Amino acid sequence: MTLKFSSFMTAALLGGTAMAAAECADPVKIGVLHSLSGTMAISETTLKDTMLMLIEKQNAAGGVLGCQIEAVVVDPASDWPLFAEKARELLTVSEVDVIFGSWTSVSRKSALPVLEELNGLMFYPVQYEGEESSKNVFYTGAAPNQQAIPAVDYFLDELGVEKFALLGTDYVYPRTTNNILEQYLQDKGIAKEDIFVNYTPFGHSDWATIVGDVVGLGEDGKQVGVISTINGDANIGFYKELAAADISADDIPVVAFSVGEEELSGLDTSNLVGHLAAWNYFQSAESDANATFIKDWKAFAGEERVTNDPMEAHYIGFNMWVNAVEAAGTTDVDAVRDAMYGQEFPNLTGGTAVMLPNHHLAKPVLIGEITADGQFDIISQTSEVPGDAWTDFLPASKVLTSDWKELGCGMYNTETKTCVQLTSNY
Amino acid sequence: MKNTFIAQNPSVLWFLAALGLFTFGVTMLSEVTGVGVISTSFVKTLGKTLCLCLIAIAMDVVWGYCGILSLGHFAFFGIGGYAVGMWLMYARTEGIVLESLTSQTIPPTPQEITDAIGNQIFGVVGSAEFPMIWAFADSLFLQLLMVVLVPGLLALVFGWLAFRSRVTGVYLSILTQAMTLALSLYLFQNDSGLRGNNGLSGLQNIPGFKATPQATISIIFFIASAAALALGYVFFAWVVSGKMGSVVKGIRDNEARVRFLGYHVESYKLFIFTITAIVSGIAGALYYPQAGIINPGEIAPIASIYLAVWVAIGGRGRLYGAVIGAAFVSLMSSWFTGGGAPSIPLGFYTVEWTDWWLVLLGFSFVTVTLFFPKGIGGLFDYLVRKPS
Amino acid sequence: MRPIFFTIGLIFGTLHSAQAQDTGTPFQDILQTHAGEVAKPSRRSVSVVLDDLIAAGLPQTTEFLEEWSARNVWQDIDGTFFIVTSEGDQLGLRDVDSGAESRGDKRDFTQIRPNGGVRRVIGTALVQFQLSDPDLARRETALVSIARKPEAAQLAPLLASIDGEQDAGLKARKVQLANFLSARFADAPEDRIAAIESLSKDTSVEARSVLNQILTVKSGLAKDLPEGNIARVLDPTVAPDAFYQQLIDADLAPIRTPPTVVRAALEANIVEGRVADIPVAQLDTDEARNRAYARLAEAGTVPQLVTNVYRDAALSEHVFYEIYNEENAEITAAAEAALKSVEARVGWAQTADLALDGLSLASIYFLAAIGLAITFGVMGVINMAHGEFIMMGAYTGYVVQLFIPDYTVSIIVALPLAFAITFGAGVTMERLVIRHLYHRPLETLLATFGISIALQQLAKNIFGTQARPLTSPDWLDGALVFSDVIQISYIRIAIFVLALLFLGLILFVLKRTRLGLEVRAVTQNPGMAASMGINPDRINMLTFGLGSGIAGIAGVAIGLYAKVTSEMGADYIVQSFMTVVVGGVGNVWGTLAGASMIGFLQKGIEWLNPSNTLAAQTYMILFIILFIQFRPKGIVALKGRAAAD
Repeated sequence: MTLKFSSFMTAALLGGTAMAAAECADPVKIGVLHSLSGTMAISETTLKDTMLMLIEKQNAAGGVLGCQIEAVVVDPASDWPLFAEKARELLTVSEVDVIFGSWTSVSRKSALPVLEELNGLMFYPVQYEGEESSKNVFYTGAAPNQQAIPAVDYFLDELGVEKFALLGTDYVYPRTTNNILEQYLQDKGIAKEDIFVNYTPFGHSDWATIVGDVVGLGEDGKQVGVISTINGDANIGFYKELAAADISADDIPVVAFSVGEEELSGLDTSNLVGHLAAWNYFQSAESDANATFIKDWKAFAGEERVTNDPMEAHYIGFNMWVNAVEAAGTTDVDAVRDAMYGQEFPNLTGGTAVMLPNHHLAKPVLIGEITADGQFDIISQTSEVPGDAWTDFLPASKVLTSDWKELGCGMYNTETKTCVQLTSNY
Repeated sequence: MKNTFIAQNPSVLWFLAALGLFTFGVTMLSEVTGVGVISTSFVKTLGKTLCLCLIAIAMDVVWGYCGILSLGHFAFFGIGGYAVGMWLMYARTEGIVLESLTSQTIPPTPQEITDAIGNQIFGVVGSAEFPMIWAFADSLFLQLLMVVLVPGLLALVFGWLAFRSRVTGVYLSILTQAMTLALSLYLFQNDSGLRGNNGLSGLQNIPGFKATPQATISIIFFIASAAALALGYVFFAWVVSGKMGSVVKGIRDNEARVRFLGYHVESYKLFIFTITAIVSGIAGALYYPQAGIINPGEIAPIASIYLAVWVAIGGRGRLYGAVIGAAFVSLMSSWFTGGGAPSIPLGFYTVEWTDWWLVLLGFSFVTVTLFFPKGIGGLFDYLVRKPS
Repeated sequence: MRPIFFTIGLIFGTLHSAQAQDTGTPFQDILQTHAGEVAKPSRRSVSVVLDDLIAAGLPQTTEFLEEWSARNVWQDIDGTFFIVTSEGDQLGLRDVDSGAESRGDKRDFTQIRPNGGVRRVIGTALVQFQLSDPDLARRETALVSIARKPEAAQLAPLLASIDGEQDAGLKARKVQLANFLSARFADAPEDRIAAIESLSKDTSVEARSVLNQILTVKSGLAKDLPEGNIARVLDPTVAPDAFYQQLIDADLAPIRTPPTVVRAALEANIVEGRVADIPVAQLDTDEARNRAYARLAEAGTVPQLVTNVYRDAALSEHVFYEIYNEENAEITAAAEAALKSVEARVGWAQTADLALDGLSLASIYFLAAIGLAITFGVMGVINMAHGEFIMMGAYTGYVVQLFIPDYTVSIIVALPLAFAITFGAGVTMERLVIRHLYHRPLETLLATFGISIALQQLAKNIFGTQARPLTSPDWLDGALVFSDVIQISYIRIAIFVLALLFLGLILFVLKRTRLGLEVRAVTQNPGMAASMGINPDRINMLTFGLGSGIAGIAGVAIGLYAKVTSEMGADYIVQSFMTVVVGGVGNVWGTLAGASMIGFLQKGIEWLNPSNTLAAQTYMILFIILFIQFRPKGIVALKGRAAAD
C-alpha cells in the first residue's frame, strides 16, 4: 500500500508543475520557494504573488528566449528542513532553471547545501546578516552595510545620538547585525558602556521593563537612540509600550530594520509618527517606475495591499535574471551566472542597481519616518551602496572578500591570499 | 524462548516481512539502481518517515502500554539529532579548514585549527571559542555515545524525580511539556552555543563521503532507518510481551493495584520512560542527517503533541498501529501541504488544501478520539477476527 | 550658537534691516543665499542659516522657523520657498515676505523635511523668541526644547521670563529648569552648589543627567599623577591588555606581537625550509613559533617579542587616572554627594518599578489562566483549546472595532460580546466533545488539541496571518507616572483591575451562589450530586462555558496590550497550565499564587540578566519543573476529601 502511495505522490508532485506551457522546445521554468503556510506565510505569500505577477507580465511581453515562463510553486510550510527537500524537488524533479525564494536566514541555510550540490541558482530577496556568499545564490536584499551601517551613521550624524540601545529578537540576523554595530560604534568613539544590548524571544509581548531600561539610559544626559532588529509580531507590543510611555521620536528615536509597510498594518501608528525605519525601498518612493509597480500590484493582488522592500528585491532580481538569460542565450546556470555580473536595472526608487561579482547588489539606502497612515516619509536617501558580503567591521571577516568573477571564490582570505572554501559555510 | 516470543506475536513477523519488502522495493526503484521512479528527495522523505515510525512505537510503548502520556519525547529525538549533528558539522568543517590551511607555508598550530573551525561554525555570532558543549564534537564515537547517553540520562533524572513524587496522569503530561519547552527555549538562545535559531545545518553532507552522490547516501540512510525500525520493533515487542509487559500494562490500567501487589511501580515506569527516550534519541540521530538541518523549532512542544496524535490515530497499545499512524499522518501532511491534493472549487469559494488541511486534521483527531479510540490499527481486528 | 541670543526686546523691537536689500523680499533673499541648506538641512550645518535669519531680525522669523520645523515649507521649481497652509492636490501657499496667499499644483512643489536632529536645533534657536510669547503652547515648546538640549546661554532669558509667567504649571516647570541650568551653568560656585544640593532628592532622568553632566570625566595617563580635579586613579591590573592598548595608542609602548604577526614574521624569514634553524614542519605549536621568533629577534631581524612581563612592567611605570572636566573640586564633591543620594533613591525606585512590572505580568498570567483555573482546576478538564478561546476573544474585539469606530464604545461592546461568543463556543465544545470524555482525561487533551489547531487554522483562513490592530481607547493610552523610574501604563492597570474583578467574581460565584455550590458538589462527587437533584450535565456545561467566556474577555484585554494574531493563544497555553499546576489545582487562590510566583520570578530572573529575556524564561520553566517535583500539589494544596483523586 505504501509503495503505491509513494508513486502516487511522485506523480502528484510532477503534476503540480503542469501549467499552460507554450510551444517551446525547452520550456523555461522558475521555481518559487516561499512558505504559503505556517508562521512565515504572511511575509512570503506576498513574495509568491509578486513572482507570479512578474512572470505574468514577462509572458505578456513575450517571455524569455521566445519561450513562455512556467512558474513552479511549492510550499515549504515555514518548516526549515522542508526548504532543503523542496529545493531538491524543484531542481531534480521539476528541473527548474532558477529558484526565487526563502525569507529567513535559517531557511536559506537549509536550502544552500542542496543548491550547491546540484548547481542550482537562487535569488534571495530579504535583508540579511551577510557573512556569506554562495556561488549559487544572488542576494538581492540588503547586506548589513546597506541598511544597518547607514542607519547608524544617520543616528550619529543627523540626530546626534550618543548612547545606543540595540534591541533585537534572539536569532542570527539581530545577533550578527548587533555584533557588527557594536564594533562599528566603538570604532566611531562610542564607549562600550554606552551601548545597551538586549535580546528577546520571538513574539515577545512584555516590554514594560525593557522600555523602562531604555528611558533610564538617558540618566547621564546623553542623547539616546534605539536600533531595533525586533522581528515580526513582537514589534506590536514594543511599539504599544513605547507609545504608552509617551516616548516621542524627538526624545528617543527608534530605527527599525525589520518593520515595513506590512508590519505597520497591525498597528495604530498615530503615536509612532517620526520613528524611523531603514530599507532600500519604501512604497512612498516617488518615481514613475514605482507608481507603475504599485498600480500593477494593486490590480494583481487587491486594492488594499501594500508594497515593500523584499518585493522590490524580487522585481530587480527577476528582471536582471531575464536580461542575463537573454544575454547568455541560454538558461544554463553557469552561463547565466557569468552574464549576471555587471547587470544593471533601474531601482524603483530611482537610480540603478548593479549586480556585483560578490553576488550582492549596489542599491541606495533610504531612511523613512513613520507617518500616521502607516506609510513612511522618506527623509534620507543615499547614493548606491555596494553590498558587502563580509563585513569590514569584525576582525574575523575583515580579511575575507568575495569575488566570483575574478577570484572565483566566495570566501577569499586577502591576508593569506587563499580561497578558504568554495562551498559556503552553512 | 525466541520461539514462544514469535509464536505469541505473529504480527512481528508480518511487520518485518512488510518492512523488508518495502525497503527492497524502494531501493530497487530509487535512482541508485538507475530506475529512478522514486526521486532522491522522496527517498529522503520515506527514510525520515521510518524514523518517525520508530519514535512513534517508542511513544506507543510509553503511552499505549505504560499509560504515561509523555509530551516530551520529541525533546529526546532532538537531542539525538543535535548530538550527531555536532559531529557532522565539526568534522565537515574540519575537513574544509584543513584543506584551506594546507596552502600555508608554516604548518598550523592546533589552536589555529580550532579557531578556524570555530570561526566557520559560529561565524560572527559567537566567537572562535568553542563552548563547553562541543568538547567531544571531534569524536564520532563519543557523539554517538551521546545520542544514547544524553536522552537516557535526562529521562532517568527527570523520570526519577517525577515518578518519585508520584506526579501522574495529566500533571506528568504538563510537566514533560514544560521540559520540552524549556529545552527548546534553551536551544533558541544564541548563548547556548548550538547556533541558536539557525541550529545545525548541512547535515546531509557526510564527512569523508564528499564524492558520494546524495542518491546513494539517501538510500544508505533509508536502509539504516528501516533496520533501526525493525530492531526497535522487535525489541519493543519483546519488552511488552511476557511478564514485564503484563506488569507494564497493569500499571496503565490500575497503578495502585500493581503497587499493592508488591511491584515497585516507579522502577518499571522509569525503565520504560528511559528506554523509550533512548530509542527516540537514536531515531533522531538517523532522522536529521536526512533532513539536513536541525534547529530548536523541531523540539517545540507542538511536535510532541503531534507524536501523541499519530499514535492515537494509528491505534494505541499495538506497535504496528503506531507505525501506521506516524506514516499515514506525516505522509498525508506532506501531500496536502505540498500542493498534491487538488483544490475543491465550490463556486463561491475554493478550498485550498494548504489552508484547510490543518482544519481537517484537527477535526479528524476529535473524530478518532470520540468514535475510533482504537485508531486505524483497530481495523485490523476486523480482518483477523471475523465478526461473529 | 552664541550669537543667536540677543536680548529679548530685540525680537519684537525695531527691524535690523542691515541685510535686507531693496528687492522687497528680504526674507526670501536670505533663504536663497542658503537655498541648499534650507532645502536639505543637516544638524551640523543648519546653524549658519539660523544665525543669518536671526541676525536679520525680520518679524516673520519665528513663524517661518516654526513652519519649517513642522514641514510646512515647500519649494517650487524655481527654488522659491513658500509656507503651505493647506495640503491636497492644490496647495494653499503663503509668501514668506508679503504673506500673500496663492494656490499651486502639488506636483510643482517639493516638501522640505527637516529631520529630528535639525528640528531640535531649530527648537533651541526658537527658545529665545518663545519663552515669553503670549501663546501658552509656544512657551511650552520652548521649555521642551530647553529640556532636550540645555545650554548655558538659556539660563539668563529663562530666569528673566519666570516672573512674568502667568500659568502656574509652566512657572513651576520654568523654576525647575532654571534650577537644572543653574547647577551646571551659574556663574557663582555657591549658586551652583546650592542648586546641586537641591537635586539630591530628585530621581528624574533630567536631574540625574544634570549631575552626571557635571561629573563627566576624561581619562588620561602619565608617568606621575598631574595636578587638577582628579576623579579617581585606576588600577591597570584589572584589565592589563586594555590599559596596555592605551599606552600603545599614546605611543608610549610598542605594539604587542599577536600570533598572526609572529606567523607572518616567520613566513617572511624562511630560509631553505628553516626559520632561524628550526625546520618549518616543527613550527606547529605556539611555543616553537615563539622560540623561532625569539631567535630572529636576537639576530635583530624582527622587533622584540612583547611578552606579558614586558607589558606589566610598562603598565607599572605609568599611572592611569580620570580627571573631572569641572575644575572646581567643591562642585564635583557636592555633585558626587547629591548623585550618591539620588542613586540610592533610584535603586529603591527601580525595585518598586520591578515589583510593579512583576505585579503586572502576574496579573496578565492570572487573567490568561483564570478560565483554565475553572475548567482544569475545578472540573479537571484539560482544554488545550483554551488559548484559542483567548484568541477568539481578541478577534471579537478586532471585529467589533471594524464596525464601531469609537474605541470606548467598541470596548464596552466587545467585552460582553467576547464573553458571549466564547461562552457559546465553550458550551458547544463541552456538549459535542468533552462530555463524552470525562472518564478519559488524557484523550480530552488530544481531542481539544485537535480543536485547537483547527481553530487556529480557521482564524488564519479568515483573518490572515498578519497581526490585526486592536486599539485601546484614548483614556487607556499613556502611563501612570509616579516618577521617571516608576511608571506603569494604564492598559496594564486596567488588566490588573480586570484580574481582580474576575478573582472576586469567581470566588463569589463558587462560594456564594447556588451554581457555585452545585459546581463544587458535582466536582466532588457527581453521582451523589445527581441523586441530590442536581443535573450534572447542566452544571458541567455552565461551568465550562463560564471558564471559556472568561478566556474570551481575557483575550480582549491581552489583545489590547500586545497583539492579535492567530497564534497568540498558543503563546499562553503552556504558561497557563503551569500557572494552574504550580498554584495548586482546584483552587482559585492557588491560581493567583501561581501567577504571582511566575510573574515575580520571571521579572526577578530578568533583572539578574537584563540582556537576555529568553534565558529568564528558560530558567523560570526549569524552576517550575523542579518546584512541582518537590511540591506536586502546588502552592495551595487542597486538604481532605476535596484533594482525593
